[in-house]
Amino acid sequence: MRLFYRYQDLAPQLVPLDYTSCPAVKVPYELIGSMPELKDNPFRERIVQVFSEDGDGHMTLDNFLDMFSVMSGMAPRDLKAYYAFRIYDFNDDNYICAWDLEQTVTRLTRGELSAEEISLVCEKVLDEADSDHDGRLSLEDFQSMILRAPDFLSTFHIRI
Amino acid sequence: MKEIELYLLSFAGQKLITSLIPMTSRDRIKTIRNLPRTMEEKRRLRNIVDKEKSKQPHHTLHSCWAHCLDSISLDYRRSKSSLSEFFSSISLWQKTLKVIGGKFGTSVLSYFNFLKWLLKFNIFSFIVNFSFIIIPQLTLPGRNTRPFTGLEILTGAGSFTETVMYYGFYTNSTIRHGSSGPSYDMQLAYIFTIGVSLVICFFSLLYSMAKYFRNNFINPHLYSRGIAKLIFCWDFTVTHEKAVKLKQKNLSTEIRENLSEILQENVKFTFRQQLARFSAHIAAWLVSTGVAIACCAAVYYLAEYNSEFLKTHTNPGAVLLLPFVVSCINLIVPRFYSMFGLVERYEMPRHEVYILLIRNVFLKMSIIGILCYYWLNTVALSDEECWETLIGQEIYRLLLMDFVFSLANSVLGEFLRRIIGMRFIKSLVLQEFDIARNVLELIYAQTLVWIGIFFCPLLPLIQMISLFIMFYVKNISLRMNFQPSNKAWRASQMITVFILLLFFPSFTGALSILAITIWRLKPSATCGPFRGLPFFIQSIYLWIDTLHRRSGYMWVVWIYQNLIGSVHFFFILTLIVLIITYLYWQITEGRKVMIRLLHEQIINEGKDKMFLIEKLTKLQEMEKIENPRALILERRQTEVRLHVVLGTLGTQTCLLVQSASLNWPVGS
Repeated sequence: MRLFYRYQDLAPQLVPLDYTSCPAVKVPYELIGSMPELKDNPFRERIVQVFSEDGDGHMTLDNFLDMFSVMSGMAPRDLKAYYAFRIYDFNDDNYICAWDLEQTVTRLTRGELSAEEISLVCEKVLDEADSDHDGRLSLEDFQSMILRAPDFLSTFHIRI
Repeated sequence: MKEIELYLLSFAGQKLITSLIPMTSRDRIKTIRNLPRTMEEKRRLRNIVDKEKSKQPHHTLHSCWAHCLDSISLDYRRSKSSLSEFFSSISLWQKTLKVIGGKFGTSVLSYFNFLKWLLKFNIFSFIVNFSFIIIPQLTLPGRNTRPFTGLEILTGAGSFTETVMYYGFYTNSTIRHGSSGPSYDMQLAYIFTIGVSLVICFFSLLYSMAKYFRNNFINPHLYSRGIAKLIFCWDFTVTHEKAVKLKQKNLSTEIRENLSEILQENVKFTFRQQLARFSAHIAAWLVSTGVAIACCAAVYYLAEYNSEFLKTHTNPGAVLLLPFVVSCINLIVPRFYSMFGLVERYEMPRHEVYILLIRNVFLKMSIIGILCYYWLNTVALSDEECWETLIGQEIYRLLLMDFVFSLANSVLGEFLRRIIGMRFIKSLVLQEFDIARNVLELIYAQTLVWIGIFFCPLLPLIQMISLFIMFYVKNISLRMNFQPSNKAWRASQMITVFILLLFFPSFTGALSILAITIWRLKPSATCGPFRGLPFFIQSIYLWIDTLHRRSGYMWVVWIYQNLIGSVHFFFILTLIVLIITYLYWQITEGRKVMIRLLHEQIINEGKDKMFLIEKLTKLQEMEKIENPRALILERRQTEVRLHVVLGTLGTQTCLLVQSASLNWPVGS
């Protein structure tokens, strides 16, 4: 219920209090991206895109609930790993390739690293995590790498 | 048609539905919830499965029973979820913790969570003590002959001596209201209440320790350099804009350091340099151990001198000298230890943190140890009138002085440092929250509480109040004076270490002190619930003897004699536990071997895949140039082989992930 009120607060004119009357209402990306929990997150665009209905960033209530339930503390590790993989997969081809990694690292470091350093980092990440050596990370590679990172559950978490 | 309906009509979808139908409703809901699909799709899937299930014929008797069980479990689940929602809405400090986590990150938040967790322990102990010991005692008319002066709050002596606060006030009689009312044996109540609350604390600590240990233990073979982890484990909980920018900067610095480590060759130190570093380490260890031992000796002699001084002079404030000195030692010596970092050089900064932690733990535990030795050997065996109350008062004074010093440190020390830094020396302004030192202070206070709970049953209440106040003081000080940390802190591993420290030297030490007290020492003859007995434990022996004579309670006597009192039972129990541990260890080793083999296989299959892809592309090019017909067969064969390799690669990676997560069940 609390989540529904948060959703409704984002766009009180669009979302009626009686949600069952028009369940297909979508709140546009700009309003969701301005939530205090997401406002400064470097990946907010990708998060909202991954969970939104048509991948364009506009979310219905179901998408909103989905997003916060996966990002909550109680979602199982596999579910979180699956969605984290989709968030980091910028071109949506079910593999994290070098270009996706470059995008990730750029967003994470916000201009602090030079272009060569970024490409070096991407190379090293692929060296470490790509177990079948095909030059890109599949979901299974990502999951087995996450297994070695016990912090993942507590860091891939948005408190609301 | 929508995507989910298309999927469900496919072969995989039908398999999913048929696998979901025979499950109980609880398992079905759990499985559907874990599927990586949107909520609408999950809802549709659940409706379809329910429809399919109702179509199937079923036996009426079986279905009635299953239906009852289903509805009971549904009600139970609903009530559990509404209860947990209720608890989380009244959960203490939830909003404040969220703000702290957002601004300072997960590692500082772990300190506050640890504080909250300790508070829960104290609340539980207090409630148990209050209901079973203090309330019955309060129903008896008491007499307090001493007047109240304000100094009691600091010294704990004076008029507080004859209140429910200390052991000496409790009666040793059986409280009886009315001639035939229920009787309440104070002796048994005292020892059983304290015993039961400590046993519950023990199991709760063990459970938490096992949970954290299982989640956070990393197999050192699988530990990677960590660049991939740095990239993919961005802390999504940080929501403050400045904190995010700072974190991004820290991340870039860490990545650069990591890269330079990888690019550089491993620097080999010359023999002379190695010798220099080794001797620096040895010197630092000698100095730190020497300082700790010197402090302990100083505390011991001060305690003796203080008691002799008090016999001749009657200054009530003089008892505060010992706690004051102990708190000063706890304040100054850890900072002195941190200065060793200027001389010693470590390969990894993590080692530095651990070694500092070990030294501080050794110092604090040895001070508590020497004080306990003094109390149990000198105070308890002297001819004081009520030595248990004296020990209780000492512990109360130590705790209070520690609390006062922490308050002063936060309020005066940190604020002053910021003001001086802003006016004069700019570099002092950047204070970082020293998690290890603060957590050790919490552990030290909690150890004192656990030791003192036998001598001063109200001690959990005092610790509760002090933890409550400390939370707010630290929070305000954090927000006003501190900056988010520059160093990388592996929060989850450190929490495991802290809980381990809480369990091993702290709780087990307190338990052993209490065990020595109960089994070896003679209670004082004129005060307390155990007066007149030769040992504290004698009360239990006497109780078992009285039960012998009553016929209805022979089973209690039987349990006592054959299970608790007999050696054979413990021998057999130990043997069973050892066998189970050995079996689990062998299973883990076997899984590790399997993981390694699967890993090698995956690498080989990957090489096969690359080889086949190259061959395929070459064949395709050659096909375009030369005669197609001759090469079609070979190309088809290569394609089929590639598909097979891809299939096995997928299943093997899945198997690897599964067995690794069986071995180290991280997460849910």
